[in-house]
Amino acid sequence: MNLFSVIRKIYKFLSSVKLAMVLLITILACCVAGVTIWRGAEAGRLIFGTLWFNGILSLLVVNVAFCFFPRMWGRRLTLVSFGMILFHLSFVAILGGIVFNSLFYFRGTIRISEGETLSSGDPESYDFIDHGHYFSFSKLKGETTFVRMHPHYKVDGEDKRAAYEIEVGEGFGKKHKVIYITNSLDYNGFRYLNDREGYSILVILYDKLGKELYGVYAPLQSLKRQNGSYLYTTGTRFTPESYPFPQPPAKPIFNLQVTYLPSKLNERDGEAFFQIFPLNEGDKREEVKVIAEGKAAVGDEFDAGEYRISVREVSYWVAMNVRYEPGKPIVLTSLWIGFGGIVITFIGRIRRVKK
Amino acid sequence: MKMEIMLFWTAVGLYGISTFSYIFGLISKNEKLFSIGLYTAFIGLVPHTIVIALRWSATGISPFISISESITLGIFMTVLIFLIFQFSTKKVQPLGVLVMPIAFVLLGWAGTLMKEVATSLVPALQSAWIWVHIIGASTGFASVLIAAGLGLMLLIKERKSGGIYDKLPEPQVLDNLSYRYVAAGFIMYGLMIVSGAFWANQVKGSYWNWDPVEVWSLISWLIYGIYLHLRITFGWRGRRLAWYALIAVVVMIVSYWGIPFGVETFHQGFRIEH
Ligand code: HEM
Repeated sequence: MNLFSVIRKIYKFLSSVKLAMVLLITILACCVAGVTIWRGAEAGRLIFGTLWFNGILSLLVVNVAFCFFPRMWGRRLTLVSFGMILFHLSFVAILGGIVFNSLFYFRGTIRISEGETLSSGDPESYDFIDHGHYFSFSKLKGETTFVRMHPHYKVDGEDKRAAYEIEVGEGFGKKHKVIYITNSLDYNGFRYLNDREGYSILVILYDKLGKELYGVYAPLQSLKRQNGSYLYTTGTRFTPESYPFPQPPAKPIFNLQVTYLPSKLNERDGEAFFQIFPLNEGDKREEVKVIAEGKAAVGDEFDAGEYRISVREVSYWVAMNVRYEPGKPIVLTSLWIGFGGIVITFIGRIRRVKK
Repeated sequence: MKMEIMLFWTAVGLYGISTFSYIFGLISKNEKLFSIGLYTAFIGLVPHTIVIALRWSATGISPFISISESITLGIFMTVLIFLIFQFSTKKVQPLGVLVMPIAFVLLGWAGTLMKEVATSLVPALQSAWIWVHIIGASTGFASVLIAAGLGLMLLIKERKSGGIYDKLPEPQVLDNLSYRYVAAGFIMYGLMIVSGAFWANQVKGSYWNWDPVEVWSLISWLIYGIYLHLRITFGWRGRRLAWYALIAVVVMIVSYWGIPFGVETFHQGFRIEH
């Protein structure tokens, strides 16, 4: 077999309408399986995120290109054919946009506390990072500042719940904006989107006489309880936990767990519940007995015998998604072009029947 | 009983009467019953509309969010478009025999799931895209359901003749009408998906996540995309496509309200961790 006939075979295979139908039905079957047999994250792992599934999608687009356009070649341009060309062209453009994007994208989650400023281009500033092969960190310029949290932020009477006032960029080009869930900030093609937020408390340690010894910000976890309410406490994402206090590198004295009970009336006000445990030997918390426990209002001191502790101030931390996706405008525009193509074809067909 | 609930069940009841008029009309070949069916559907749309208006004016929040509200709107569009079709063409009298039983059953089901009007809209849904999205979804469903009804008429017409059957349009006419409703539905689903993608992009920064609701709507869209190719590229016509349209609409109902609303997704708003 010579090269020419191999190429011809490949061309014939790629340009068959039957292949298109087989692929469409295969994709359909995968979609059905991905919402019935497997679901959610599992479906993503087994189907939607896999190389073979995305390969099938890409093959479909290549097939559209080989099958549709040669067939349309030389055909008279009518409303119907024009619409169809737009539609199938948008199909190809969408894939082009996705491939282009996958080479250059950046996605990160930046976690930052009120008043804090982080370097936007430093990978250390991010909890999570994912980027395309050709993405360069030099694109991420300047700094990111979380100015202030605005809970129950209202826009035209609508409650946006959590809005983050942020400042992004460098020098005089800095952008300042209050972002909330339907309103992100765009700087140099990088979008900053709300993701998660939580409380952060400033815990101060005093000696018996009230002299200040140490202070630290402690981010709190929001743990959902069975009754649907939230517990705001030190710990991991899954359970409340104590932590060595003061925190290393300072020398810990005991283990501390703090739970914050927000006031229903005033933002950033409320009470703190302290539990002091002996410094851990091992992690079996149930067996560890409490040395002291008690409550104090925010700003007030809790007397733990040898020491006193207070939550001086309540603030917030947030996690924002930072995204740079240069291929996205191509994809989003193509969606409308494709949609327009379908509508034009349909109008054309109706007019043809009427004639 | 609250006014709203009373009106809701009045609408369901009237659609029920309409359903049985159509079914018995077909069995007994009695055209008068079709007219009764049509007019009770028309009268039923009145309380149906008022219920939506009442819910809407109660809080000023669009009452199309929960599953029962979504079904209520889908059926509203269905009956509305069905009535417009019937009163403007007067050609396919028994069409209600598929449309009205589905309207009746689904609206009744929505009634059992009904909750109080929401007092606030989660921030993720406070987006203009939601309007395009909802309109695309509900009119898309209405269109493909009517297409399936026309398919059923075609199947009946091909098998039976005499009496009321002779008054049905020729199979080719039904076939063509059904195709048009599928094409219109396909467009509206396209609108639903595109607006959904823009909405997701606005809120989450990504336009497509393979989240179950997204996949389900892709499934509906692909099913009708395949229909169009079977027709145009492979030249299918008539009976085979009529069956296809009927089966597809069942998948549609399942993919719309059967499963996706039960699972926790993007559409139920966002968890805010504080
Ligand atoms: C590999 C994939 C595809 C191929 C090879 C393909 C091929 C074609 C061809 C050849 C036509 C023109 C038919 C003719 O007049 O001869 C056509 C029309 C069309 N295709 Fe595709 N297509 C593909 C994918 C899709 C998909 C995924 C959709 C949407 C779900 C779609 C929607 C349409 C529509 C709406 C028309 C116009 C139908 C009409 O005229 O009303 N195509 N396609």
